[in-house]
Amino acid sequence: MATRTALTAVLNEKPITAKSGPTRENDMSERDKTHPYLKSLYAQLESRRIGRRDFLRTATLLGMSAGAAYSIAGISPGLISSALAQTPRKGGTLRIAARLGDIKDPHTYSWGQGAFIRQSLEYLTLTGIDNVTRPLLLEKWEASPDLKTWTLRIRRDAKWHSGRPLIADDVIWNLKRALDPKTGSATVGLMAGYLLERYDTGEVDDKGKAKFSRRLWDANAIEKVDDYTVRLNAKVPNLAVPEHLFHHQLFMLDPADGGEFKVGANFTGSYQLVSYEQGKRAVMQARPSYWGGAPHVQTLEFLDLGDNASAAMAALAAGQIDAWPAVDNSSLDAVKTLKDVNVYEAQTANTGAVRVRPEAKPFDDPRVRKAMRLAIDCKSVLDLGIAGLGSVGEHHLVSKSHPDYGPIPALQYDPGAAKKLLAEAGYPNGIDSEVYLKSAPAWESQVVQSMVEQWREAGIRIKMNPVPSTQYWEVWKKVPVGFTDWNHRPLGIMLLGLCFRTGASWNESGYSNPQFDRLLIEAEGKLDINERKAAMGKLQTILLEDGPIIQPVFRSIFSAYHKRVKNFTMHPTNYYWYKDVWLET
Amino acid sequence: MLRFVVRRLGQTIVTLLAASFLVFVLVESSPGTVARKMLGPFASTEQVQMLYESLHLDDPLMLRYVRWLGVLTGVVADPLGDPALKLGFRDQRGERYFGNFGFSTQMKQPVSDVLWERLGNSLLLAALAVAVIIPLALAMGMVAAINEGSVVDRAVTVLGTVLASVPEFASGVILVSILVVTLGWLPGTSPLLPSGRWPVYIQFILPVAVLALFVTAYVARFVRTAFVEVLATPYIRTAILKGLPPRSVIFGHAFRNAMIAPFTVILLQVNWLLSGVVVTEVVFAYPGIGRLLLEAALFGDIAVIEAATLVAVFLATLTQFIGDIGYMLLNPRIRL
Repeated sequence: MATRTALTAVLNEKPITAKSGPTRENDMSERDKTHPYLKSLYAQLESRRIGRRDFLRTATLLGMSAGAAYSIAGISPGLISSALAQTPRKGGTLRIAARLGDIKDPHTYSWGQGAFIRQSLEYLTLTGIDNVTRPLLLEKWEASPDLKTWTLRIRRDAKWHSGRPLIADDVIWNLKRALDPKTGSATVGLMAGYLLERYDTGEVDDKGKAKFSRRLWDANAIEKVDDYTVRLNAKVPNLAVPEHLFHHQLFMLDPADGGEFKVGANFTGSYQLVSYEQGKRAVMQARPSYWGGAPHVQTLEFLDLGDNASAAMAALAAGQIDAWPAVDNSSLDAVKTLKDVNVYEAQTANTGAVRVRPEAKPFDDPRVRKAMRLAIDCKSVLDLGIAGLGSVGEHHLVSKSHPDYGPIPALQYDPGAAKKLLAEAGYPNGIDSEVYLKSAPAWESQVVQSMVEQWREAGIRIKMNPVPSTQYWEVWKKVPVGFTDWNHRPLGIMLLGLCFRTGASWNESGYSNPQFDRLLIEAEGKLDINERKAAMGKLQTILLEDGPIIQPVFRSIFSAYHKRVKNFTMHPTNYYWYKDVWLET
Repeated sequence: MLRFVVRRLGQTIVTLLAASFLVFVLVESSPGTVARKMLGPFASTEQVQMLYESLHLDDPLMLRYVRWLGVLTGVVADPLGDPALKLGFRDQRGERYFGNFGFSTQMKQPVSDVLWERLGNSLLLAALAVAVIIPLALAMGMVAAINEGSVVDRAVTVLGTVLASVPEFASGVILVSILVVTLGWLPGTSPLLPSGRWPVYIQFILPVAVLALFVTAYVARFVRTAFVEVLATPYIRTAILKGLPPRSVIFGHAFRNAMIAPFTVILLQVNWLLSGVVVTEVVFAYPGIGRLLLEAALFGDIAVIEAATLVAVFLATLTQFIGDIGYMLLNPRIRL
């Protein structure tokens, strides 16, 4: 009955009392208008046409607070761990192994740099370990019924370190800067589909070809409504906007700093960077006036121990560091033997896939591509390639842990059928080729090695060509066969859009299938979860039959923390925040 | 003597020029452009091209080399420091000064900001290692030579062969697993920052131990061989027959002559300790010039590679020079 009350409250636009749910998010005002689809969504939940997790994700994306959504779905968030039963201790120093590269330009960070800056700089939203996206610097958001207009309401209590409130002008400045191709942020690729357009710059390059760039599709695409409200006016519908605002580079910086971050720069987060020695050490101090409450640990000290896993391992063993956030697979067994250390695992959609370019023989024939999938026993690649530390893939990048996974039967391992298909395609004696891959990290070579062995049995003779990673990124979109790793993303459809849409900048295989593109746009704008899953199922089926990739496994990732570090939870992106963590004496 | 010094200085400059030019050519032929490495895998081709041009990487090799020489000698300013490029490169020392190694494209700061500190750390590590290696190697070698054929001699020889054939990355890991992981006596890495309960000076023990294990045994074998030879010469026999005490025979008569060959080996090892201890520095995350050079080489950071190479070549010629002076002192028959 509690669920009914909460929903009624939401839909009748009345404030919810704190009693109705376990989290403080319920305290937030729900008075603003709600998305009309929420009623239908609730009806689907009631009639069991959609699952609770599905309800949660869509309801929160449409602007319902996570607390309300959880209480309606009738499940506990499970985020507030039992550790809260103890009283957090204030103070202490937490030492963390990290690579300390150049930190000047947060909007262009690679994954590594953002890791520790995330204690200081914040996003507008936050996708939690439960795949549910919550407002962070936003108080809430609202989507129009057609999913084209997104109204972002900024928290009134979010303050910069300088004491100034965060206002719409700040948010707009950051969005526009990240979306300017000159900045060089990957945010452009993520949001280009609905906020940007391609245009002819009027200039020509050395070869006389016209230079194209991207700009906002409309002058009003990012609109200021008032000091605390920003509106995104998209050209096509998109449900995942709040998830995109959690993009790893989309930090909110103070426009006064001109996009540069350094010691002394303004920030909204829970820790202040007080010293930074590149390649050596960074120190952060707790910010008592943090709008979300002062953090427990007083000092964070990040040490750069290089790329060598044995250095981090030895430092952890000797108590020189308390945290090793990215444990190398090869050190995992050793780390597990340390008695004062907890190893955390996150099952993720982090993966790697062999992809072929269908433009040339023999890969122009879909039968050859399917044969390459049929010849792989994913379970055995999982065991041999990554020592079972993950789960089996299904050759379409969408994981069962993705909320939009379309339930279709997986392709079964069948080397006989693979041989038959090859023969039908005109290759009775098999095919020969060469796969480019990065020489490090080691798991990539091991996965490819086990795939190559299995292919050989089906007459697919592929030679391995490992190259240094910097060299690989020069050729990754050109080589006929390549192995590329893909980071975890909360939605399967995000990956499909990045990797397989015709002309997408990360479409490394040059795959182009009009039917696929059409279904993809349809799926991106689908609100109904079952309809979206059905659309995803169709997309996945196309990839199984016709697609350019062979993707046998998803990986788990690991991090190691000293046992005195309390209340740590591991995020599937391996992002970490230390504001809720405390240290036991 | 003065002529010798001037001649040697001239040779050094030629060697430095040749080495720096070779490095330029080699880095040029390594795969992947610096622009791509700076921007990361997901930057667009146009972005890479723009940076490539603003870094002046499309200039001819010779032009870039001459410009680099000009920057180093303080004649011209590094074009990368131009604020119009918006690369954010700025040098507090000014635009032009002698010894300007330019900007590191990987670390996006002046090479001088990192180089000298790293070099100092490596020199400290080398000095500590030498301070352990030389007395230990001399003692082991001399004891073995004096007791030639005895159990002690055999033990030194066998131990020496075994230790000298265990590479540093193996001995490093073995020492860490025993002394750090199992016994918990020592810190496992040496970032030279106070970390946990370990003061900085304790962090030197393991890297120095790894280097000493590797080098001592090797040098000791040379010392032994040289001593055995000298001890068999007639003048030593005479000295012994004259009834001189053994201490006087060894240190007064044999030592100087026996040291010529080991001295060369020791100098070569010092040279290696100063710039070639990449593996030890990486294993222990020691902030020295070897680790700097490795990371720069993997990235293609030409300014850092050039700087580190020049320093290494300079140190090599310097130790050679010291070696020549040392020969003169050890053997009066050598005149410079």
